[in-house]
Amino acid sequence: MSQILGVVMLIYLGVAIVLVMAELWFSPRLQQGGRGLLWAGLTLQTGVLIERWVSSYTIAAGHTPPAVFLDQLSLVIMQAPLSNRYESLVFFAWSLPAVGLIAFRKNLQGWLGAVIAMLACLLLAYASFGADADIRPLMPALKSNWLLIHVMTAFLGYAAFAVAFGAALLYLVKDKRPQARLPAPPLLDRLMYRAIMLGFLLLTFGILTGAVWAETAWGKYWSWDPKETWSLITWLIYAAMLHARRLKGWQGRRIAWLALLGFLAVIFTYLGVNYLPSLHAYQT
Amino acid sequence: MPTSKKLPAKPKSRLWGWLTSIRLTVFLLLILAAVAVIGTVLPQDQPPGYYFGRFGETWGAIFYRGGLAAIYYSLWFLAPISLLALNILACIVHGLPRALRRSLRPLTFEAALSLPERDKLKWPKGVDPRGLVADLLRRQLGRTRHQALPDQDIYFHEKGCFRPLGPYLVHIALLCILVGGLIGKFWGIEGTLPVLQGETAEAFRVGNTLAPLNFQVRLDRFQVLYYADSAMPKEFRSDLTFLQDGKEEMKAVCRVNDPVSFGGLTFYQASYGSQPSGPVRLQVSYKERQETIEASPRQMVELPGGEGRIMISKVEGNLQGLGPAVEGIFMTGRGMGGHDFFMVFQDHPEMNQPIGPYRLTVESAPFQFYSVFQVKRDPGVWWVYAGFLLFLPGFYLAFLRPHERWAVVLQPTPKGGWQGRLLGSSPRAREDFDLRRARLLEEFKKGTPS
Repeated sequence: MSQILGVVMLIYLGVAIVLVMAELWFSPRLQQGGRGLLWAGLTLQTGVLIERWVSSYTIAAGHTPPAVFLDQLSLVIMQAPLSNRYESLVFFAWSLPAVGLIAFRKNLQGWLGAVIAMLACLLLAYASFGADADIRPLMPALKSNWLLIHVMTAFLGYAAFAVAFGAALLYLVKDKRPQARLPAPPLLDRLMYRAIMLGFLLLTFGILTGAVWAETAWGKYWSWDPKETWSLITWLIYAAMLHARRLKGWQGRRIAWLALLGFLAVIFTYLGVNYLPSLHAYQT
Repeated sequence: MPTSKKLPAKPKSRLWGWLTSIRLTVFLLLILAAVAVIGTVLPQDQPPGYYFGRFGETWGAIFYRGGLAAIYYSLWFLAPISLLALNILACIVHGLPRALRRSLRPLTFEAALSLPERDKLKWPKGVDPRGLVADLLRRQLGRTRHQALPDQDIYFHEKGCFRPLGPYLVHIALLCILVGGLIGKFWGIEGTLPVLQGETAEAFRVGNTLAPLNFQVRLDRFQVLYYADSAMPKEFRSDLTFLQDGKEEMKAVCRVNDPVSFGGLTFYQASYGSQPSGPVRLQVSYKERQETIEASPRQMVELPGGEGRIMISKVEGNLQGLGPAVEGIFMTGRGMGGHDFFMVFQDHPEMNQPIGPYRLTVESAPFQFYSVFQVKRDPGVWWVYAGFLLFLPGFYLAFLRPHERWAVVLQPTPKGGWQGRLLGSSPRAREDFDLRRARLLEEFKKGTPS
């Protein structure tokens, strides 16, 4: 399976290159080709994801065959490939083009599309070189029906924030060099806002489902675990941004800087927390 | 009173203005984020010695006395969060009545007429566009209303009129969650309960004190179950019996992710361990000799031949799925010098490494499991969950349901044809609005015979 994932990684790299060429040569046909290729990569990766889910389920059902339909359903949910660092990296890589293409449609092209495709490519590269790809049985702490919805909403949210990050980068470049051939600042600003809105919605859901899960697993809906705290920090930064947009003088550049800061917090929530003692240390 | 405008704002209203300002919100949110960052960088809730030892006299004092060592319970956190709660409350009081009025007041044709004009439409002589427009708007937008005036016909439509309530629901939800947290703090109880297998507990630990349970709980059995052929634990399982005055009331299994409630308290599987419950019998092979020794936990025992001593520190009940294992340290000779940790399995002697010149096998290693539960009662949790539920409609209205208003005004021209104006607005979803507007124009064009 990891070979196919390698192909997906190359496709994402190809998408980034094609989209950059499309920008340099002003070629709508290349834009279309790049987007088509991104869809192809996403479809292929979806296939790989489902394959891993199925084999993960088959192995688990081999250990303890589910007796009734509800057990079976719950086992399907729990065996979603979201239970360790490798799987989360791969899912993060999948969320980027998925959220980008589905929620932002035609806006995901050119430089923005290239940024997203490149991020997805880097995540897959990290997954294949820096993480253990074996399917492992699920540890007791993760055996919960909340696993799927909690992890999915969190990562889809991260992906939306990545889109906002890309738009913010472009905004700041355009701001510095107005002659650069980039989308107009108002468009980028709106795109940033929409991405942050979507990410905020999903992140909030991720935190809420996590809190409900923590209440059933640990007896505390909130325990100031570093991962929880960092997700709250991320949430606070984006909440500040959603409010700041309504203040005079806070549109545009400052918001773009806040979006960069917010995405740094996202990255730290995801990766940096592993260096702090955490109840979320499932990532080995 | 025209003069009142020139007077400086009253102190009360200035305070109110400050309390309801978004500037304050943004400031507080960023302050809270910064405080939380400190809370994750500086280890929290450690004994004072830790801070003095690690950061020195001055910084240790600043961190510990300044409340930074328990930052989420200090003013650093509580002051901005309280102010934020006030800020939210003030904004709700300030804006909710108007939002409610706005949501409950349907769009009237007068209001529709004052919507900003977006496009002009024209129909040639002999074509009556009224049926066409009504039909088309119904198909594109849904239910439309119609007002016929002597000189013009107005078709208007409104969608997402509850949009203004969305943000208020979200903010009320946040207040609910904060109230839930406070209720939990003041009326809830939270502690830990360690029980040895086979024993009955009547109290649990809350901080440094013991809180009585008004019932008894017995740990009948604790098990760590492993996946087949794997060192990966599959389940931590405690079989509990709850008793009232010595009479069995309920039997239950408590697992991680699967808590048990009894007598108003909830028990969560939090941790476990095992402790030796008697001397361990070990068979020692030394050169050609074999001898059985008895070693009491935490006591130094001389090994045959005098080449070393051992001290048993721990008996694991089920280590890596391989059954009981004895752990301890081994010291050579008489000096207090070098010592090695060792570990011997009872059921897997083939895995036991030689220890110096010795080989050890376990004959018997009596042990007792204990299990640790998180115990709590939190009446605030329902407020928190209510807040979570309120978030759903709040976010739906605030983010996914833009407020859209449309109107088409038709007027006959002096030449016998018709002219129309397309009016509309959607302040927070301009892109969707523009798309729909383009589609409407296209449909109008398509439906008009030229």
